[in-house]
Amino acid sequence: MKKFNEVAINKMETLIKELVEAYGPSGEEAAVRELIEEKIKDSVDRTFTDNLGNLFAIREGAAPLLMFSAHMDEIGVIVTHIDDNGFLRIAPIGGVAPHLLVGQRLSFKNGVTGTVYHEKIKALKELDWPKLYLDIGAAGAAAAREHIRIGDMACLHQPFVNLGGRYMAKAMDDRIGCAVLVEAARRLPGSLPQGVCFVFSVQEEVGLRGATTAAYRLEPDYGFAVDVTLVGDTPEAPLMAVSLGQGPAIKVKDRSVLCHPRVRELMIETAEKHKIPYQLEVLERGGTDAGAIHLSREGVPSGAISIPCRYVHSPSEMVDAGDVAHAVELIEKIIMVSWPLPDSGSGA
Amino acid sequence: MKEEEVKELVMELSFAVGISGSEESATAAASRHLERYVTRVWRDRLGNLIAFKEGDKPGEEPFSLALVAHIDEIGAMVTKIEEGGALRFTGVGGIDPRILPGQPVEVHGRTLLKGVVGAKAPHLLSEKERREASKFEDLFIDIGLTKEQAEKQVRIGDLVSFDAPPLAMTAGKNIAGKSLDDRAGVAALVICAAELAAARHRANIYFVASVQEEVGLRGATTAAYGLVPDLAVAIDVTHGEAPGLTPPDVFELGGGPAIAVGPNFHPALTARLEELARDNRFSIQREADTGVPGTDAWVIQVSREGIPAALLSIPLRYMHTTVEMLSLDDLINTGRLLAAFARSLDRPFVEGLACF
Ligand SMILES: [Zn+2]
Repeated sequence: MKKFNEVAINKMETLIKELVEAYGPSGEEAAVRELIEEKIKDSVDRTFTDNLGNLFAIREGAAPLLMFSAHMDEIGVIVTHIDDNGFLRIAPIGGVAPHLLVGQRLSFKNGVTGTVYHEKIKALKELDWPKLYLDIGAAGAAAAREHIRIGDMACLHQPFVNLGGRYMAKAMDDRIGCAVLVEAARRLPGSLPQGVCFVFSVQEEVGLRGATTAAYRLEPDYGFAVDVTLVGDTPEAPLMAVSLGQGPAIKVKDRSVLCHPRVRELMIETAEKHKIPYQLEVLERGGTDAGAIHLSREGVPSGAISIPCRYVHSPSEMVDAGDVAHAVELIEKIIMVSWPLPDSGSGA
Repeated sequence: MKEEEVKELVMELSFAVGISGSEESATAAASRHLERYVTRVWRDRLGNLIAFKEGDKPGEEPFSLALVAHIDEIGAMVTKIEEGGALRFTGVGGIDPRILPGQPVEVHGRTLLKGVVGAKAPHLLSEKERREASKFEDLFIDIGLTKEQAEKQVRIGDLVSFDAPPLAMTAGKNIAGKSLDDRAGVAALVICAAELAAARHRANIYFVASVQEEVGLRGATTAAYGLVPDLAVAIDVTHGEAPGLTPPDVFELGGGPAIAVGPNFHPALTARLEELARDNRFSIQREADTGVPGTDAWVIQVSREGIPAALLSIPLRYMHTTVEMLSLDDLINTGRLLAAFARSLDRPFVEGLACF
């Protein structure tokens, strides 16, 4: 018997499922990169990678050049010590809350899986990294060392679930952005008003590092990050006027960027012209690739399209299917707008 | 420039609005003054205002000096429209919620809307609330509209500025106003440009009114990369003395600009500034800076291959309030010292900066 929230999945959902279930903590994005390259290569003129592992997928065209960036990496942990009994001590990669890991399953690149638990504590507030360990079921240090070395990384082990109109998975941040860009690229017509580069960036969660070098290399005229944002629509949530299901969010501000007013307005006009629902986002915590892109070289006017997401950086990040579909549509339309050539900057 | 002109200039710049990320009207005000004294004025891709004055260089390879002061000011941004029409907001830059209740503001919606920052009346506070300073969560902006009316005028992300005209103190030479951090620095750029209008100098000079300093030195980052100056001086403000504050954290109003000393600053530039102040009898103060990334000089120093940088700070009381206070004497001294510095530069000095 089918349960109410078990739903058969379509082609885009299959893509999302493959992406979110892939292994890819910051610095170890290879599996995600290979998957995306396979899915996008027929929709673009060429793809290449750089020294940091960013993947570029280019649709050639006249100036200006638009850069879209979604990050491939996800949060995770790194092994810092293997004790005599074969328990692994761990430290965070990116913004991981220790209490969200207790009882969770984690997987390594080689497929080894384990669970996180904690030493005896008196109160929950004592729950910090030194109290946590990862148990991979190894009977002693030697058995553990056969499979795991210091510095190996693990990420959450959680399947994609379609709740019927809403999707739940680990690494929705930001594989959902990757999926949106792959799908937008697939839908673009044969001729575009300007050049576009889709960047699948590395190491966002540890400081927008991939986007920093990618923007330096590309020298785009405009930058757009595609990432998740927080919402204020859950019980007693912090004050925030973004909800699941009300459309993709056009970012105004976060900790890393004040989106360029003209870029933001052109995005809003595009959404309104095509009757695509959207929300405006003021995010008081967190940053995105746009933070790095807009400060590249002499400056790049930048904006961001965000997919509203509950429980960001938890094992069960949740997004709305309608928001995802509308984000694809919005990006497609943004690419079809003829963007003006920005001021040369030389003052001539 | 005469003292009376400087007073008008700094009051005009203080009153202009230019919250980080949306500095256009403030840069326009600065541009109107700077363009009278320079060769060319433009804005770069992030909105930095750049005024360029060519040097006289008889048969010499040109070199360039950037004088950088930030044009942006702190402010607020609407985050939510509540059921009753009250606007919730967050800060842009380091805004202090303690000073907000009772503050008149302007909301930059579809039209400009007057409003006030509201909070619970003291009679209605609990014992505990009375002891605590106000936090953003407790505050809201009242524009006198219902939710439905407000939604037609205001969008999430709209900016809110302080509605605070500047004041000249009745006695003495002090001016109080919003955004003197760092419109005072921008005023010093104008004073310097005016001083240099009829003077000879070998350096090509970029006067830069930088954007987005208050949110992380962002405009200066891209301006320094784009202009590639051979050396730079940032002009910002530092804390002025007031009751309860003692040196070395604070500086005397009227005692002259503070010249910063520390790892962020090239020793030859600092020494040259001090020497010129002594020769010209400009009063100055010395500020030991341990290397906190607080001003545009921080990012300029490490741009590209490295740019020798210095910092002049104008003493300012009540920083990040709507009554920031400074002395006109300090402002004029800062502009004149910058002009003397620009005139003193030659190719051998600039080449010597890389020889330690
Ligand atoms: Zn993200």
